[in-house]
Amino acid sequence: MVPWIASLLLLGWLRIVIAFAVKGDILWNDICPGPEKLGRSKVVLDEGKYYGGIQQDGKFTIPGVPAGTYVLSVSTHDFIFDQLRVDILNTTPPVIEMHPYIPGTPLNPPSSVILPHPISLVARQKHNYFVAHESFSLLAMFKNPMMMIMLVTAVMAIGTPYLMKNMDPEALEEMRASQAKIASAQSAFATGDFKSSISALMSDEPAAMPQPQPKAGPAQNKSRSNKNKRR
Amino acid sequence: MRLGRLASSLALVFPIASALHESDVGVVDWHKKLVGVPLTSSSATAPVFHRVGEETTHSVILTATASNVLAAIFPENGTVAWRYIYESGDNIASFHIHKNVVASLSGPGGATLRTFDILNGHLLLEQRIHEPSHGQLYEPSHLGTSVAYATEGSDLVVLSNGGFVQRLDNLGTAKWSWNSSDPSALVIFSKVVTTTTHVYAIGLSKTPSSYKLHVAVLSAGTGELTQLSDISSSITAGLNDLMVVRRADEVLVVWLEQGSLKYLTLSPNLQSSPTAVKGSAFKRIVDVGLSEYGQFLAVKDDGSSRIFKLDGSALKSIWEFSASGNRRADPIFSGGRDKKGNPYIAQVRWSHALNQAAVDVYTGHLGRGVMTAYTFPFDTQSHGIITHATLDCVNPSEMTVVSRLAITTSTGAMQLWQQNQHQWTREESLSTIAVAEFVELPEKVDISHIPKERETFGQRLQRQVMEAQDFPQYALKFVKRFATGSYASASSAAVAPDSAGKPYRDAFGFRQVVVVATPYSKVFGIDSSNGEILWSRMFGLGWATEVGGSILPVKLYVTQTVHDGDSPQVVIVAQRRAENTLIDTVVYHIDASSGENVAPGVVDKDVLEGVDIISGPLVESFILPDHKVVLMLDEFLQVYLYPDTKEATASFTKLAPSLHFPLRVNVDGQRRLVGQQVSLNAELSDRFVAHPTWTLSIPPSEDIQTLLPASHEPIASFGKVLGNRTTLYKYLNPRMFALLTAPKATQPASCAIYLVDSAKGSVLHRTSVPASGGVCDVHMSLVENWFSYYYYDPEFTGVGQSKGHRMVTVELYEGSQVDEKTKSSELSAFSDKLLDVSTFEQAYIFPHGVTALSTTSTKFGISTKDLIVATKNHKILSIPRRVLNPRRPNRKVTAEEQEEQLIHYDPLIPDDPRRTLSHNYEVANVRRIVTAPALLESTSLVFAYGLDLFFTRVAPSNTFDVLNENFNKGQLVVTVTGLAVAIMVTRPMVKRKRLQERWYQ
Repeated sequence: MVPWIASLLLLGWLRIVIAFAVKGDILWNDICPGPEKLGRSKVVLDEGKYYGGIQQDGKFTIPGVPAGTYVLSVSTHDFIFDQLRVDILNTTPPVIEMHPYIPGTPLNPPSSVILPHPISLVARQKHNYFVAHESFSLLAMFKNPMMMIMLVTAVMAIGTPYLMKNMDPEALEEMRASQAKIASAQSAFATGDFKSSISALMSDEPAAMPQPQPKAGPAQNKSRSNKNKRR
Repeated sequence: MRLGRLASSLALVFPIASALHESDVGVVDWHKKLVGVPLTSSSATAPVFHRVGEETTHSVILTATASNVLAAIFPENGTVAWRYIYESGDNIASFHIHKNVVASLSGPGGATLRTFDILNGHLLLEQRIHEPSHGQLYEPSHLGTSVAYATEGSDLVVLSNGGFVQRLDNLGTAKWSWNSSDPSALVIFSKVVTTTTHVYAIGLSKTPSSYKLHVAVLSAGTGELTQLSDISSSITAGLNDLMVVRRADEVLVVWLEQGSLKYLTLSPNLQSSPTAVKGSAFKRIVDVGLSEYGQFLAVKDDGSSRIFKLDGSALKSIWEFSASGNRRADPIFSGGRDKKGNPYIAQVRWSHALNQAAVDVYTGHLGRGVMTAYTFPFDTQSHGIITHATLDCVNPSEMTVVSRLAITTSTGAMQLWQQNQHQWTREESLSTIAVAEFVELPEKVDISHIPKERETFGQRLQRQVMEAQDFPQYALKFVKRFATGSYASASSAAVAPDSAGKPYRDAFGFRQVVVVATPYSKVFGIDSSNGEILWSRMFGLGWATEVGGSILPVKLYVTQTVHDGDSPQVVIVAQRRAENTLIDTVVYHIDASSGENVAPGVVDKDVLEGVDIISGPLVESFILPDHKVVLMLDEFLQVYLYPDTKEATASFTKLAPSLHFPLRVNVDGQRRLVGQQVSLNAELSDRFVAHPTWTLSIPPSEDIQTLLPASHEPIASFGKVLGNRTTLYKYLNPRMFALLTAPKATQPASCAIYLVDSAKGSVLHRTSVPASGGVCDVHMSLVENWFSYYYYDPEFTGVGQSKGHRMVTVELYEGSQVDEKTKSSELSAFSDKLLDVSTFEQAYIFPHGVTALSTTSTKFGISTKDLIVATKNHKILSIPRRVLNPRRPNRKVTAEEQEEQLIHYDPLIPDDPRRTLSHNYEVANVRRIVTAPALLESTSLVFAYGLDLFFTRVAPSNTFDVLNENFNKGQLVVTVTGLAVAIMVTRPMVKRKRLQERWYQ
């Protein structure tokens, strides 16, 4: 266990000043493998009145910090580091306590987890500033559900006549009948004649076509109108 | 379903459509990495060449700069190898190079030691030497600081605070320390030298008429003081006339005493006595950077100079440079070394009359000394005078010396000259921009086919045939463009049509000129499409040319835009500070597209000449609402106009009764904010004079810090329709301004923020925020009815409180409730409805410290306004307006609120890297962000300046007015072709089927 370190600086002019130094280091990991990737970075307390630069070996020292409570953060361009709550207690011997801190949460009460001092920090995430271009590929285009529906419809439109041709005449007749039933129900719905449409669907026999009203013209089947004409 | 809703709400919170693509880098934006203007006043901070390596060597130019940066620049291309930006309050005192390490001392008395790897700039060591509060503030700041390297190993001997000597190992552990704790002697030690056995600290003490030399001898191993003695001497110019010369373990102190050059050999017992160099009288000694190699230079009274060399333990004169003629300025001396370490000394003499500089390089190691001379052209009209030069030499073959010089000029430029070949120029004064503004460029109009007055049939035919010969080319281009071509999109480069000399805008108006003026007497026109300097001019001093002086630009106004028909023009209001302490107000009037002087009746000789307006300092200046006339106020609050024409006076006289403006004035020793109006009293003065109409009553404990007028931009909507079909009408008082006051004492430590009406001084809104450390580091932005500000909250003791950066957003609306309308934008200043205003306010936790704030601005104000923020970790972010909506509900969002696109209140503004406009660029110490509209309503141009320059363009509401960059022409072509093929295939089928139907049914 590394003991706490407080530096006692004895300077000239016969004045004794007790200043605490918050120390720690950055551990290189896969996200941030070294000082080249990290770039110019520093570790700051609060808004930056007390700070220490991160050295090539990852070590940092924030000198001259008076007793108090601070939020420690790493000011860096490309990486995200954890923030910490630092309590420097003015006791003899002085104690530096470190707690994890999540931004946006109340600072008090401190987390019950106490981290060692000097502290080791690791990069949690590297910023990705860009979004990828939507590239055009034919495959991706046809994977689109809308495109798939279109394709299926196209295949159906082209394929159905051939299918009909090869079908058993009885089955064809049956299908015609059911189609006519649905068509009549549809046209009835369109004209607002719900009763007959429901009855048309319910009855087993191919019901007589309800007389289409003039307005319902577009709902009619074109081929059938041709047939009528001929009659 | 729920998942889907969650996903959609997340998409609302994090709109990523505006994020950058990697391919946009360098296309839509540019970044200029600067280091600042080199500090050339002392050799402890001035630029110097340094070469590292044995066989293959790399050299860099190291310098400390006025922007408090230690930088290394590659001499090959002038790019920044690395830079270290020091915090304010931790100013660089001196830097010291040794092999591949550079050590710097910074802060009061040299409180902090840092060492860097010279090639990559990695911070090797950061060590606090003493508490900054105990530091002695010397002037100049390098006084009392020095670093020497131990002759063996990598230990450093550091002298700081004028008398504190420490020996540190490479981990920063002190091996010993010595303090000259003798307050009565008042000796300031300024130099430290190491030999294998001893450490010498050399200092001066003040006597009534001059300075006396002191030497302390310490043991190199233990730091024990073995000898402390004063040398009988009288040095008048202090440290400037003192230097230490050494060669191996032979150390000499050299000084100038009443014109005679004296020296003393340092030995552990200090028994030798000072010796004088016989012969001529000298006026100064020059450290050319070769003192470690036993060479220096002394200038004689007649202007000639002698090179001295330490030979054994005596000084020997080895060369003499002749005096420069009358036509040349005082010579600049510089020393340099080649690969093998041989010393060279150059004398650079610059001549204004010849517009060139003459260089003489003395090479000592070739034969009995070789002199190489050449001249290089130096453009005084654009770079001022040479203030510093540093030399680097190569000796490719016997008797050939090729030298290169890095020079610093009075306009803050750094240049590299290889012999007489110009290599590169860095305009470092761009790191000190005082004022900046965007100016639109004209469109290129093709005027070639304007027919002549009378054209015969033959002539016309001939002309049209001539013109028609380009048609096939045009047709081909058209077809090609139609079928394959990509269209200019919001993310393509701003390419302007080719033009000989004159700049033109591109299709969307992304290419504009950023006119910037610097305190280094220079104004630049920067191309916003690529950051190139289109033109630059030097400010002329007017009558002060005789005595010398400086120009400080204060304001920059665009007085004529391209929409007015002619070329765009700007007016720069500047203060001229002559050397004889006289201050004048001068106006420079220039064409923004070419940099030419357009002030009526002013003719440029060499430099840009201005018009003297006020013979005295400027108190305040404004541009009148018609954007044509600049109004200036002198100390007696008299009104001066520029241009001073009859039309200007007439339009001003018409406007005068409705002009109201606040001024900061001293009343009983306190700074007060006083509202002013102008009036003409013909009996007293022929000028309009401002008189006070109101005084803002702020508490006596507060002092005015910042005054921010609302930015006047087009307003597209006057209200906000809410989800329940009611309307909140925006409070759009055009006279509104924001005011920040700072506490005078530490108690109460709070800053007050006011929104005030300038006609009556009515306070519309007031808040107070804590002043962290007694300093009000508050940044504000005020546009339309939206006021936003940043501060740091140091309080954490309360329940639920936490220290942190805060972003507050305030919106002002008319009346006390919805649907209440007072027509605030047209309301008279004296209406009682003026104070009928309601505010919405919300505070957010911001992840970073902020150095500047601004909002985007667009042509018609239809696009939403995003907040552009420059952070302390050197980034430019854009925060969507929706995130900063002060009406975000603190509960579940109702359907009505969802319709308004309101999102649930979250106190933390997330740190989303995709909103970083500056992405990988490090945009350091931004002081201001300027935004300007492009021709596209969707897009706003953003220019940030501070130490670096950064430009980009943003589309806060996405680019709704141009084809989306995601628009896939390929897909469209494939789909259309596919459909065509389908039709071709199915048509015969359908035909056949119909035919069959007719036959068989």
